[in-house]
Amino acid sequence: MKRILDAGITLFLLTLIFNASPLLAQKNKPAKIKAAALQVEMIESDEIKLPAEFQVALYENLIRQLEKNGFSHVYRDGDRNAASVADLVVLHSTVRGFKAGSERARQVTTVSGTTSITVHCQFTSPDGTSLLERDVNGKVRFFGGNLKATYDFAKKAAHVANENFSTPGRE
Amino acid sequence: MIFKSKSVLVAVVSFFVGLAIPVGNAQQVSGPVKVVQLTGLAGVKDNAKGTLQVENGQLHFVHGKAISDVSASSIQDVVTGADSQRAVGGTIGLMSMAAPYGGGRVLSLFRTKIDTLTVLYRDADEGLHGAIFTMPVSTADVIKKELVAQGAHTTATGDSTPAATSSTSPSKEQKQ
Repeated sequence: MKRILDAGITLFLLTLIFNASPLLAQKNKPAKIKAAALQVEMIESDEIKLPAEFQVALYENLIRQLEKNGFSHVYRDGDRNAASVADLVVLHSTVRGFKAGSERARQVTTVSGTTSITVHCQFTSPDGTSLLERDVNGKVRFFGGNLKATYDFAKKAAHVANENFSTPGRE
Repeated sequence: MIFKSKSVLVAVVSFFVGLAIPVGNAQQVSGPVKVVQLTGLAGVKDNAKGTLQVENGQLHFVHGKAISDVSASSIQDVVTGADSQRAVGGTIGLMSMAAPYGGGRVLSLFRTKIDTLTVLYRDADEGLHGAIFTMPVSTADVIKKELVAQGAHTTATGDSTPAATSSTSPSKEQKQ
């Protein structure tokens, strides 16, 4: 009888621990930063020579992915309307690494020809105070053109923004 | 004898003139150019096929019934580049990947050269947009010159910028 009671208590405690751990993890998560809107600055690549189409594709894909991830107000570089927005977060992106790769090499050999791009993303307030900084990379290993790496980057960068910033009407 | 040598000369000259004419035509693009809009034009889907023309200070992109115009004066930068694409693409290209004995990989070796045209422009609210087009070889420079002549700005002064764009030439990784 006592053995059954002990087993029951052990089972109860284990269940309690398993159920409590996600709650504890949620408590440890840092609170999301309020962002009424995002403004995406043009991708900078002063030190790395980046082809113009990569720069533009990074910028356009980033805006599209942020909009897809629920940011209802995503302003472009230089947009006058962004100036009057309270709680605006500005995203500055600087290219830190770039490997052009080769679509032909990927298709012929499968293992070589990877295109990769590393971008330093800095989220700041309009006055320039840094809120969050991350290095995000984009890759295309097997299928698709070289520009597909920019899509991969944009998806990851939008995920970072989604995890760390909350907009009104979206948590 | 003289008649025969004259006809040979005419034939040789005609042959070389025939070779030169397509090159001359390629440099002087008159009328719309068939392009693929990879991304960036507002209201146009990615990879939309259409025609591009510079006319009356506007860059016209016609895709089906939809027309997208960008004013040349609003263009901040125009950059041309060189790239290549699979000669056999689309569904057939995808299906060929499953061909036995690496047949699909052999097809991947055959690629056609293309030009890229990247245009940076500002909308009515001063928001920056970027559009990328691919087009037949030696047509991008002509469109760029027409745009610049009609008021577009450009930072690259050369005819083209064959940077690391070409997917056929793997370049070394650049790191800070």
